[in-house]
Amino acid sequence: MKLRYLVLLLGLTIGTFTSCRKYLDIPPKNIIQDKDIFSGEKGMQLYLSLMYSKMPFEDFKYSPARGFFDDWLVTPGTNEGSSIGRDAGGAMTSEGWARNGPYWTMAFSLLRDANYLLKNLPKYKSNFTDAEFRDYIGEAYFARAMVFYALAKRYGGVPLVTNVLEYPKYPAAKLEVPRSSEEETWNQVLADFDSAIAYLPEVSPVRGYSNKYVALSFKSEAMLFAACVAKYNKITGLGQKTKVRVIGFNPNTAMAASKKYFEEAYKAARSVIKSGRYALYMKEWAPNDKEAQYKNMVDMFFDISSPENIYLKEYQYPYTAHGYDAYNIPRQLMGGNGYSAGNCPTLDFVELFDGIPKNPDGTIKVFDDRGKYLLFDHVTDIFANAEPRLRAYVIFPGDNFKGQVIEIRRGIYTGSVVNGIDPLRTVNGVTDYSISGPANYNQVDAYTGNGAFMGKKVLFLSQSGTQHETVTLADGTVMNAGGKSGPFTSDRTGAITGFTVRKFLDPNLPQSLVLEGHSTQPFPLMRYAEVLLNAAEAAAELILAGESTFEGDDLQAVANQAITDIRRRAGADPLTGLATLDTIRKERKKELAFENKILWDIRRWRTQHSDKLNGSTQQDGAYYRGLYPFYSTKANKYFFDAGIEESRKLFRFTEQDYYFLIPPGEVAKSPVIDQQPGR
Amino acid sequence: MKCAIYCINAVLLLLFLSTTFSCRIDNYAPPKETLRGRVVNAATGEPILTDQGAEGIRVRMRELTWTATTPENLDFYCMKDGAFQNTKVFKGFYNVRVDGPFIPIVRVDMNGDTLADESKNIEIKGVTEIEFRVQPFLKVEWVGKPIVNDGKITATIKVTRAVSPEEFQAKIKPMGNYNDNMLNVTDVRLFVSQVPYVGYREFDNRYSTIINYIGNSFEPLLGQPITITTQGIIPPGRTVFIRAAARINYATEGIKRYNYNEAIRVDIPRK
Repeated sequence: MKLRYLVLLLGLTIGTFTSCRKYLDIPPKNIIQDKDIFSGEKGMQLYLSLMYSKMPFEDFKYSPARGFFDDWLVTPGTNEGSSIGRDAGGAMTSEGWARNGPYWTMAFSLLRDANYLLKNLPKYKSNFTDAEFRDYIGEAYFARAMVFYALAKRYGGVPLVTNVLEYPKYPAAKLEVPRSSEEETWNQVLADFDSAIAYLPEVSPVRGYSNKYVALSFKSEAMLFAACVAKYNKITGLGQKTKVRVIGFNPNTAMAASKKYFEEAYKAARSVIKSGRYALYMKEWAPNDKEAQYKNMVDMFFDISSPENIYLKEYQYPYTAHGYDAYNIPRQLMGGNGYSAGNCPTLDFVELFDGIPKNPDGTIKVFDDRGKYLLFDHVTDIFANAEPRLRAYVIFPGDNFKGQVIEIRRGIYTGSVVNGIDPLRTVNGVTDYSISGPANYNQVDAYTGNGAFMGKKVLFLSQSGTQHETVTLADGTVMNAGGKSGPFTSDRTGAITGFTVRKFLDPNLPQSLVLEGHSTQPFPLMRYAEVLLNAAEAAAELILAGESTFEGDDLQAVANQAITDIRRRAGADPLTGLATLDTIRKERKKELAFENKILWDIRRWRTQHSDKLNGSTQQDGAYYRGLYPFYSTKANKYFFDAGIEESRKLFRFTEQDYYFLIPPGEVAKSPVIDQQPGR
Repeated sequence: MKCAIYCINAVLLLLFLSTTFSCRIDNYAPPKETLRGRVVNAATGEPILTDQGAEGIRVRMRELTWTATTPENLDFYCMKDGAFQNTKVFKGFYNVRVDGPFIPIVRVDMNGDTLADESKNIEIKGVTEIEFRVQPFLKVEWVGKPIVNDGKITATIKVTRAVSPEEFQAKIKPMGNYNDNMLNVTDVRLFVSQVPYVGYREFDNRYSTIINYIGNSFEPLLGQPITITTQGIIPPGRTVFIRAAARINYATEGIKRYNYNEAIRVDIPRK
């Protein structure tokens, strides 16, 4: 009996494994094959979705602390100096340090997808129309260009993997690809953008896909980066293992390379402008009407049909929504998750704009000629004539938002006003507005009852949003010292700089939906204003390189026109004189703030470590300033104190930080991957 | 059901036992050799005073005994008096180099070809002592004693070149991309801290002072006494440590490093 089974089993086994016919030699049915995915439009939509889900877009799911694809505590602006927040603020010296790690480790997956598509799609060409085929090939080049660009601006030279590495088929040595030089890497970025531009259609065939003009716009941005590195970078060196110039350009050829890239940036941006497909958003704009101009610049970020949108990242509830509103809402409108005011614009940012009373040195005017505070009838008076663009980006004390007056007040001053009010930041009679001075208003004489106020406290502050000192006014009403939206002495969920952000905050989102993962407003990855600024900057740089015309254009005229148009739309003072490089950079810092662009601009200009900021440079450690409103009971007026912001967020950045460290583990395990020279 | 739970438990137990009762322990002996040494001025034999950290003097060891892959960089930093010590080194043959505010001891040209290599290849066994004799860019000295007045410290210092411009040029120019501005003294600083390890990595920016010099404007001040006063008001009764530093417009290993004088203690009198 048992023997019979055994013989049967043996027979079956031999029969199966020695068969001449390959019954079992088939691909597994439960795994999607190339022939399935490359079968037509539907399959390709899946493939492209996979690629787009890994695209290094710096959107509402990006922050330097947590890198890409992480939507927690997203506060764009807090690392570029436009703003600071309770949980963010400081120079970007690395990425993903709080979570998710550096981009290096995630970049190569999308690179492989793109290379795989480029290699294998031609085998299935017959499944597609010519237009479809060209589009998909263009998308692959676009993805590859974006990956190499994202890597190059972080690390300099990177391994230029442009084919599919077969593992385990290839021997180990063939799988190890060393870093190329930084120049070769930027040339690869240029080549891939050019291929994408050649293949992609003029209009995205599917909403969210890229197109020719998206690629051209990003090309202009990337080429500006390359050109600036070639021109302004000071640190260069050869890799220890490969002797390849992995960071910086060869000083002998750098200027020529820089000019080449500026030309490419200019040509790309001009192609977008000349296409006539895009325009600055002016739907609600009216001349000499600051209110309309302000409203125009608020609404432009919510209008999906805006002609300014070149490339949007859209979100959908509940699958891909983000939390921008929840993290950045003013304190008094705080949502159910308990976050607020994560993005408080700095006074330094606000002072870039027009329409504010200013001292000759460009700082805001808060003192009269005697050194006493200027008094204002209403808290809103100081910004009454502010540039509409600034109003659209920043909520001032006393501004309206969602039908409420946003109450931003640091404290109440009950002292005499007969001879004017002396500067508050005074300790034991010594006034000091430098970094050595008092960090917080609870240390000053008016609060502690020292110096000129011996034994007589005249300043009242709120500890937090729930613990207030109060003052009874002449009419008997009791007033909290701090405003409903801060700033407070110790609780940093208020407007810690005296401002909170308005840009991108949805003015129509119901309070109950101000929650993490509930916001769906789109992020402008690329808009026409940036293309204008790119063209202007490239033009100004080419002028500095000795050109006055290029491809038949008068470069100065192009730069002037771009700045004139942007300022007109913004409601800013008109351009006087020529649009110089300084003017253009300043305009860029204003227009593109909070869009994760300035973060990289100050790096590519190589000015982050060396620009003077309130008396120091970031390489020695520097701080931003805030503007703190106080109410004087005796005068029934408001006054403002300007100085280093109270949370004292330190921005510290050395020249080495222009290149991120290669993850040490990647360097240690590879015989060819070099660490940054000098590190 | 019960059986399934027992089975799972058994498997977990087995896993647990197999991980904790491994047949062999990690029996490799811990590193116990010591490398110690100093970085001194080749001309005078004085130690090179420095900052404690990446912006000071970096000691880089590479173990040459290890040939399977490119050797890793094992970095640590000098103490503020220019001495260094690492007591956890595996026995072996090493290349040791130092980089700091002095003429680089390993000099390569634009093509990566070595022009000079004064790094040391040594066997580290027991306590191995080495000394690097280098040419610092600047020498910073105190002149007299600092004076305290109303919470402000005023110190006088003197900055001189420790390497002549000719010698600097002779050694740096062949490395490529040279210009004479590299010799300019860019800034002089007075660092203040509550701890003795005062320097670029540890200073109180409420009190520390920086004087910047544009172009070669420092040239006439070389060897002259420079008076520098702290900022702000240091509270009475506080003890602080101060240190002066200066640097030239030349970066070694990507960083423009300071030459220092020795830190001194200053007691701010009580009122």
